[in-house]
Amino acid sequence: MNKSNSADSRRAKAQLTVLRVIVYVILIFLAALCLFSFYMLFVNASRTNAQIQTGFSALPRGHLIENLKNAWTDASINIPKGMLNSFFIAATTAVLTTYFSALTAYGIHAYDFKLKNAAFTFIMAIMVIPTQVSASGFIQLCYKFGLQNKFWVLILPGVAAPVVFFYMKQYMESVLPMEVIEAARVDGCGEFRTFNTIVLPMLKPAMAVQLIFSFVQSWNNYFLPSLLLTKAEKKTVPIMIAQLRSADYSKFDMGKVYMFILLAILPVLIVYIILSKSIIKGVTAGSVKG
Amino acid sequence: MKKKGVSYAKWGYIFILPFFLAYLVFAFVPQVMTIYNSFFMNYREGLTQVGPKFIGFQNYVALFTPDANGTIDILKYAGNTMVLWLLGAVPQILIALLLAIFFTSYRLNIKGQQFFKTVIYMPNLIMASAFSMLFFTLFSNVGPVNQFIQAMGWSDVPIDFFARTVTVRGLISLMNFLMWFGNTTILLMAGIMGIDQSLFEAANIDGANSVQTFFKVTLPLLTPILVYTVITAMIGGLQMFDVPQVLTNGAGTPDRTSTTLVMFLNNYLGGSKNYGMAGAISVIIFIITGILSLIVYRSLTKKD
Amino acid sequence: MKKFVSLLLALVMVLALVACGGGSTTTEQPANTPSTSTDTPSTSTDTPAPAASTDTGAASGEGKVFNIYAWNEEFKGFFEKYYTVPDGVTVNWVIVPNTDGAYQKALDEALINQADAADDDKVDMFLAEADYIVKYTNSEATQDVKALGVTDFSQMYPYTVSTASDANGVVKGVSFQCCPAALIYRRSIAKDVLGTDDPDQVQAQLDSWEKYDAVAAQAKAKGYYMTASEAADFRVFSNNCTMPWVDANNKLQFSPEITAWMEQQENFAKNGYTVLSDVWKEDCTNQMFKDGKTMCFFGPAWYFNFCMTNAMDPDKGCYGDWAICEGPQSYFWGGTWLLAATGSDNPATLADVMKAFTVNEDICTKLVKEDAQFVNNKKVNEAIASDPNYGNDFLGGQNDTKFFCEHADNIKFENHTIYDQLCNEKLQEYYREYLKGSVDKDAAMQNFYKAIGENYPTIVLPQ
Repeated sequence: MNKSNSADSRRAKAQLTVLRVIVYVILIFLAALCLFSFYMLFVNASRTNAQIQTGFSALPRGHLIENLKNAWTDASINIPKGMLNSFFIAATTAVLTTYFSALTAYGIHAYDFKLKNAAFTFIMAIMVIPTQVSASGFIQLCYKFGLQNKFWVLILPGVAAPVVFFYMKQYMESVLPMEVIEAARVDGCGEFRTFNTIVLPMLKPAMAVQLIFSFVQSWNNYFLPSLLLTKAEKKTVPIMIAQLRSADYSKFDMGKVYMFILLAILPVLIVYIILSKSIIKGVTAGSVKG
Repeated sequence: MKKKGVSYAKWGYIFILPFFLAYLVFAFVPQVMTIYNSFFMNYREGLTQVGPKFIGFQNYVALFTPDANGTIDILKYAGNTMVLWLLGAVPQILIALLLAIFFTSYRLNIKGQQFFKTVIYMPNLIMASAFSMLFFTLFSNVGPVNQFIQAMGWSDVPIDFFARTVTVRGLISLMNFLMWFGNTTILLMAGIMGIDQSLFEAANIDGANSVQTFFKVTLPLLTPILVYTVITAMIGGLQMFDVPQVLTNGAGTPDRTSTTLVMFLNNYLGGSKNYGMAGAISVIIFIITGILSLIVYRSLTKKD
Repeated sequence: MKKFVSLLLALVMVLALVACGGGSTTTEQPANTPSTSTDTPSTSTDTPAPAASTDTGAASGEGKVFNIYAWNEEFKGFFEKYYTVPDGVTVNWVIVPNTDGAYQKALDEALINQADAADDDKVDMFLAEADYIVKYTNSEATQDVKALGVTDFSQMYPYTVSTASDANGVVKGVSFQCCPAALIYRRSIAKDVLGTDDPDQVQAQLDSWEKYDAVAAQAKAKGYYMTASEAADFRVFSNNCTMPWVDANNKLQFSPEITAWMEQQENFAKNGYTVLSDVWKEDCTNQMFKDGKTMCFFGPAWYFNFCMTNAMDPDKGCYGDWAICEGPQSYFWGGTWLLAATGSDNPATLADVMKAFTVNEDICTKLVKEDAQFVNNKKVNEAIASDPNYGNDFLGGQNDTKFFCEHADNIKFENHTIYDQLCNEKLQEYYREYLKGSVDKDAAMQNFYKAIGENYPTIVLPQ
């Protein structure tokens, strides 16, 4: 009895070790694949325009600082200003999108009202409409009303984000029992307070995920901003990168472009690392027992 | 679930109000115009506006009229889109699910989690255009991949990756996979993280092994998030645009076998701002996605 | 509840701002925040502006803001360096990168809304390239520059004037830089194939397409490629078209020059005379290295001065092993035109800027000497071309300015339509698939027609 038990546990241990090895191999392979593209980006950011034109290179060259300096001092763009603009738009969009999506999802998840199903179906339907065409229509309206160079035109539409809403709704379905809400009501909590102080903390991992995603999406957004933000002091990072790429031949420098692409990733990476920590911390263990 | 009836219903309306207001102000008009335009002749010839003139279903008829060789273009591009989506999305969701389980497993207790989680998400931060420039350099006729193939003696002449249907589609799928699998992993991980830990503990005490725990505890509770993942991956897939667009320079080479529905739509918007035809294509994409989403939603949520 | 009410109020306010901001911003000074516009939408009249400048502006009847649309900063640099803006006028640059066609999209929307725009928001002048210039010159959005006072075209190259003219010959703008182009050849390969690297003697052996094709066969026999891209010489054909892309009935047609290119490249691909590659991709540009096997490239000064960087590579390049000749036909590639927007509230400034960068010899001379431009002023270019000490080291000491002065007059650019850019690009793209053997010729042409039909519904396509 005792013997077979220890044999069992030994076998289980061996199994676990094999499993671990397989898992690490898969992880390292995928990580290498992902890092490789970054490494290439880095290599190209360390080469001159002429060196980049020669094609692939496995090893970095020594022009990293030079490219950084050239990009930083380029007359057509103001990198700190662009980063600030991008950060402002992306951060506000991310917060608005995430908060209001959770609010909407909660409204539909937690309450019974006549139009509940109709509202849900409607949001699901508009989620399916291709964005390309409505984006062009949006641009035309903006020009008609003279709304160029206004950040809020890019930020406020984020309040209605069907995809984020859908995620929040699904997340609530798997983690948010009605009992919690009802318990709060018994305690005499107002509806908004229940949402802000009890529901939101339980959604922390989901909120973090959607904050990251909407931040990244907004940060990399080129199409709408490029047509709406035409003033130098209003431009965002992707527009500035595009501007470097459409420079005339005497100033065209892919080294600068790659350098700026690399630079533009850093702030997003920091935001990601900070936020992704709360995906782990947000575990709801214990809060829902009974 | 018991409700106290009257008092709470209004809160539902109040909570969803901001969403609908923002939608009405910013998205409603262009979206309704999209459907409306699909029944009109409405485009620009240079800077001159032609139409809008009501033409009924003519745009739709034009889309479904076969060409000289009997091909109905939009069906071809719908097929391309499905193939490209399946090639990228199936491995993406499976691997993401696997990774999410690895990362959240206490038994495996993966070291360096933060590192791996950061690294696999990083490709999503690179702009699609920069990413495809890198791919182009790698796989060009004089690029390192071809140099390697020739050095190994696998082929005497360089393999033209951008002139064959199989390789172009393969590269597009690979890029889509790399750009999005980290993203999906994080979504699923957050879903697993949200599951009440006491359930896992209970399963453990009851002597369930990890496979059983996964199928009996994790998967059922993760279903809503999985439904979300599959449906949004499908919507994203059917609207696939930037990667094939930049990789093939908008041509969908070879023989338009990597032209997706939205690239097709974009052709109509690019030169002449043809809101009539673009609207009709949008409506068709809308219908296809809607039906597929409904099927997926129904079949995945019915199980429990 | 209180929280909710305050939130709702905030929301209503935001929406109100959205709505009001929308109505009034067209007449607003840009710096204004939406919050001030809620109560009095007509505050634009009391724009704080220095009294003095307002006066001068009013006196000359000119608007206060001169808006210039461009896709990069090249012209802005020259403008700020050499042009003195009249008192009371502020120049506002609207620079939209041309990635994904954003420049034309933004410009089109601005021009279409031009009539409704406030004077200070109206487009006054915009920049355009030859590839799509017809879209603007053949429309009401541009105006006759002769009426504005730009009347002296004697020193401009004729092709730059015809390019900026509409179908009736009304001139809508001027070019401030010319890009006459040439056949660029590797001296060492020419010596091997033709027995000489002297530009005049090489030219004598390449001065017609028949001779050119024959040389391609000779080059192949010696193990060389004639070109590194099937599209390398496309512009030489397409810029010399004798028929427009569409006929009077809007039917797509192939000018004999285009057909000639297609036949030539079919032959080149079959015999291995060329590398099948996009002009900008490594397959092509790697041929510029010392170990490259390609004899001819095609392009203007900016091409060999800035884009042939592989040839200038200190380790793998072949600096100085190049020269230029006219080749089978004269042509140009690139250049920037300044167009006059209809409805400009600064007509005098507009004309003055155009004259400054074409007629003003002082500025033109500086553009050549300090900025290495080939300007649109024959007299200035010729003065510099005659400098006996000048030679381009990349071209083994050849005087390229002199060369271009001699040939720029021969350039023609006629029979252009608003469809040119698309037709030229799509034909190259889809025809390459055929040349590479991915599809048969019929399929390639069908794909080409489809691309045209999707972009321009009015064009009647061959069946």
